[in-house]
Amino acid sequence: MNQAKVKVAKAKTKKVLNVLITYCILIVVAFIFFFPCLWLILASFSKSGSIYSFDGFFPVEYGFDSFKTLFTDTVMYNYPQWFLNTLFIASMSCILGTILTILTAYCMSRFRFKSRKAMMKTTLVLGMFPSFMGTIAVYLIMTQFNLINQHWGLILIYSAQAPMGYMVQKGFFDTIPYSIDEAARIDGASNFTVFVKFTLPMAKPMLVYTALTAFTWPWSDFILPKMLLVDRDLYTVAVGLMSLGETEFARFAAGSIFIAIPIIVLYFCLVKYMINGMAAGAVKE
Amino acid sequence: MKVIEKFKNFFKTLPDKFKAIPYKLAKKFAGAKEILVQGNGKVSASMIVMGLGQLLNKQWAKGIMLLFIQVAFIVYFVLTGATDLFGFFTLGTRAGNAWYGIEGDNSVVMLIMGILAILIIILYIAIYIANIKDAYRTQCALDTLKKPVSFKQEVGTLLDKNFHKTALALPVIGVCVFSILPIVFMILIAFTNYGDNIVPPALVDWVGLENFGKILSLGQFAPTFFKIFGWNMLWAVLSTAINYFAGLGLALLLNKKCVKGKAIWRAFPILAYAIPGFITLLGFKFMFSYGGPINYYIQQAGGEAVGFLGLDAKWSARFIGLIVNAWISIPSTMLLATGILSNANTDLYEAARVDGASAWKQFIKITLPYVLFATTPVLISQFIGNFNNFGIFYFLRGSLNVDGYFLASDTDLLINWLYNLSINNNYYSIGAAISLIIFIITSVISLAVYVLSPSYKQEETFR
Repeated sequence: MNQAKVKVAKAKTKKVLNVLITYCILIVVAFIFFFPCLWLILASFSKSGSIYSFDGFFPVEYGFDSFKTLFTDTVMYNYPQWFLNTLFIASMSCILGTILTILTAYCMSRFRFKSRKAMMKTTLVLGMFPSFMGTIAVYLIMTQFNLINQHWGLILIYSAQAPMGYMVQKGFFDTIPYSIDEAARIDGASNFTVFVKFTLPMAKPMLVYTALTAFTWPWSDFILPKMLLVDRDLYTVAVGLMSLGETEFARFAAGSIFIAIPIIVLYFCLVKYMINGMAAGAVKE
Repeated sequence: MKVIEKFKNFFKTLPDKFKAIPYKLAKKFAGAKEILVQGNGKVSASMIVMGLGQLLNKQWAKGIMLLFIQVAFIVYFVLTGATDLFGFFTLGTRAGNAWYGIEGDNSVVMLIMGILAILIIILYIAIYIANIKDAYRTQCALDTLKKPVSFKQEVGTLLDKNFHKTALALPVIGVCVFSILPIVFMILIAFTNYGDNIVPPALVDWVGLENFGKILSLGQFAPTFFKIFGWNMLWAVLSTAINYFAGLGLALLLNKKCVKGKAIWRAFPILAYAIPGFITLLGFKFMFSYGGPINYYIQQAGGEAVGFLGLDAKWSARFIGLIVNAWISIPSTMLLATGILSNANTDLYEAARVDGASAWKQFIKITLPYVLFATTPVLISQFIGNFNNFGIFYFLRGSLNVDGYFLASDTDLLINWLYNLSINNNYYSIGAAISLIIFIITSVISLAVYVLSPSYKQEETFR
């Protein structure tokens, strides 16, 4: 009798200990991930801009000065303009890239044509190349097309290269049963109608996932814009922020927060789609 | 064991595959022969002038379109195509001379335009063959007294049976111009002497395998190459392992029944995931810089400021790189593992619990094999992503040049070296050769795993 009681008590303490340890680890993890973000947020509210006038992680004095200079002092660092540039490039590339990627994935999943396997293997092999090695060639092509120092040039490149990553979306389309297509086709719908009226609405989670990835890529890319944009006023935020030194640390922090917020909000709204999309891509890649 | 078996099978079927090639070719030529022998005058007319056969068959719209394509092609070929094609092989013969005001040939542009010309010629040949086939098809239909397919009907199929042709036209063109063309260009550059002193207006030439010899044999490049390659492999393995297992562990931890408020706990890693990478990297660079907070506390404690990412900080910089990379990548692995774990078969765990298996046993025997199986492709792509992780040391340390390395630092990966060589220092051809080597390493690993993986072989399961 007594022994059993001890056993139960032991199991109980073990369980409590288990929960306790779990929460301890979680708190540590949350701290690790949150602290650098907090540090940047605090830094953006610092009164003096340089990193040397900080008490370790914490600014000496707080204020909104760095946000004010970020948007008003536009002679050297035209942040508002950079932000608009980035927004324009990212949204246009997102729209065009999503359309092209979804179309490619749908065709690769639903149609059986002669060059299909060859195309799939080619894209796979091409994906192995270090992505920016082609940038020298892309740069030369853009000079030939007279698209250097223009936002449309960047949009063209981002959206044209987007279909290369169609694999995740194809994996998703593969899981949509064929019976739906066939039923619609018996009713006399063409492949185009089937795609627009049946497949697309069902692929909404995938559309969201694709659009999100197509948006974040140009939003945070720096290699292409750095190469193709010459005028300071045409810069994207990534290129612009890179040109800020240690004395402009607060301005960097403020600018970073401003560019990170839209993405963070998007991610938190769409995290369900992200998880589903990633899992779909993982199983059937 | 299974993998070895698959390898064996793959190589066993290889000879058969090679043997099948002549048959496949013969099958293709049989079709061509049939057209040549059976084709009537109108088919021959299409062979001589594109669209003529169609016009003779009174298929006006199609005929005029094909004719127009041929005229356009000939105009293009005469005006620039021929010279572009020729330029591809010579890479320019006339050296420019600013002194005498001679505008010479620009070898690099000639190379690109040459590749473009070849792409256009291939496209033209494809249309030409389609044109002959179409004329023959019409002949067959007329011979059997059937009505040939009208142009209108054919256009109609572009939204139905041939929807893929319409839909894929734009993506294929885009990928050809902005992905394939640059990569082909880069591969070709690896076999030229473009770079160093030889940049336009100087003339570039084909040099064969000389660049690869330079990298692999002794010289200024070889020692740096092998040093960086060793570190690159170590980095890829370590960082992939850390990110993978830490991400999986975090997902399992959050999956525990006793954890309340999962969404809130999960929000912190997602926050890290959502911040654009360059911001995180620049932020951490500031954190570890001389004036940064870490050094502030060291100085407060009476120590000297440490250059964690400075010129002679080899292992501390590498270590920081690993940690920062983990900070960035663990959340995405966690999300992925969460998605996969939510699909896991709960019956198995139930059964294991009944049998009295410990939590650790359950993890080793059920969870790990399942997750490993489901994420093999992702694991490969993560390995390659880490192997070619350009951003991390580019932002953390910038382009430093360390003693004992040629235009590289001791944390640089091959991809960073490639960038320094080709974009900062004009060693284009050497850079291209290195990227080919990177490509061979990564593609051999992943193509093998991909072809042998069940997800490729059982692709048709859902049909």
